[in-house]
Amino acid sequence: MTLSEIADGKLAPRTGIKLDNICKRYGDHTVLDDVSLHVEPGTVTALIGPSGAGKSTFLRCINLLERPDSGTIQVAGHTIEPGKVVNNKDLAALRSTVGMVFQSFNLFPHMSAMKNISFPQQKVLGRSREEADARSMELLERVGLKEKANQPPGRCSGGQQQRIAIARALALDPSIMLFDEPTSALDPEVGLEVLAVMRELAADGMTMIVVTHEMQFARDVSDTLVVMADCKIIEQGDPGAIMSDPQEARTRRFLRAVLER
Amino acid sequence: MDALSAVLQGLPMTIVLTLSAFAIGILGAVPLAVGLSSSNILIRLTSRLFVDLVRGVPIIVWLFLLKFGIQIGTFKFNPVAAAIVGLGVVSIAYLAEIYRGGLQAVPRGQGEAAHALGLTRGTTFYGVMVPQAFRIVSPSIATYLTGLLKDSSIASTIIVAEMVFQSQSFARQHPTVEGILPYILVGILYIALSLPVAYLSRRLDSHMRKAVYA
Repeated sequence: MTLSEIADGKLAPRTGIKLDNICKRYGDHTVLDDVSLHVEPGTVTALIGPSGAGKSTFLRCINLLERPDSGTIQVAGHTIEPGKVVNNKDLAALRSTVGMVFQSFNLFPHMSAMKNISFPQQKVLGRSREEADARSMELLERVGLKEKANQPPGRCSGGQQQRIAIARALALDPSIMLFDEPTSALDPEVGLEVLAVMRELAADGMTMIVVTHEMQFARDVSDTLVVMADCKIIEQGDPGAIMSDPQEARTRRFLRAVLER
Repeated sequence: MDALSAVLQGLPMTIVLTLSAFAIGILGAVPLAVGLSSSNILIRLTSRLFVDLVRGVPIIVWLFLLKFGIQIGTFKFNPVAAAIVGLGVVSIAYLAEIYRGGLQAVPRGQGEAAHALGLTRGTTFYGVMVPQAFRIVSPSIATYLTGLLKDSSIASTIIVAEMVFQSQSFARQHPTVEGILPYILVGILYIALSLPVAYLSRRLDSHMRKAVYA
């Protein structure tokens, strides 16, 4: 199995990812303090914790949207040390393996839904326009938005935009998907349609790391619950066990605040 | 009408000056705008220095410097070339600043999404950032173009036979009340030339808004 085969979409292998000793500072301000996380292939990891804990930064370090100051990332046979110079081949391999979905969707507003999904396929994977469009349609159908293919994102609701954004990331055949608070910008009802797509994806065996405040989703869908606070992982394990019997006082405080809402 | 035909004689030159300088500006401003937003401090400062230097000096001074101040061997600028180069370079500086503003106004998430998808920096710039920036800056560009049209009249000071120059020569030959006529006509002509630009710009803007925001 080679990376190009993965990129061609011939194989969508289950890949895990190992992050070790990730540190990130902005000047004197520490954001991530020696964070390590190993994610097994085909599992869902939910990342919860109070604001400012470093959850989003950690997620963004995984695909190097933020460059950690030190640590190692091992994915798809590549070892990346972001504190040092990362060559383009490793960076391309990382980005083609890891897809990302943002809180604010970040669809390209000047392109139709279909073009949003096809354009990266053509540019990154070198697919022909026909091939790319066919795959885009397939994915739009999968997220239930076939009829929106020719509409610009501005004519889609938030929930629809987020589902298109998920389709856009999936179109590049990633083996790991990162979700950065995918439902936080949506009202609870609309958030459900996005969560439904994510549940399906998890059931299909996609390796997922999800930063979220959706406790129900974290409890039902995730295999591992990771609690972050104060720039560190303070607790991780079975979601049910942590939610019913947290070991750390900080976790207990956070969960009480969330669950009593 | 003698006055009208005198002014109209200058019309082609006014249009040539305006469109040539505009074309130079539109293209030349692209690399400069990239320089203005470069992460390399040396490139950024050099670009900034160029923009501030060019914009800090009145156009009339640049035209005089180009026309009378440059002699390389036997080469000297003829008036038209000096006017086109001068107005073109000034356009580069102003439009680069407009472009930079437009690029910065594109939400940060757009570039991040493009990077996360694995698009190269070039594809991100031309496929994602530029089209959105263009939408943001197209009204400002149209405003600049109408301004440039009127600024092209400064070329009359270095003896380029555009509309204002023709008005002046007519006025000089008719030192009566008739001498005021070409200035009235030239004013009307400038307005007439500006209107379609403003109109097209509004049409383009509302079209793009409809397409994107619905």
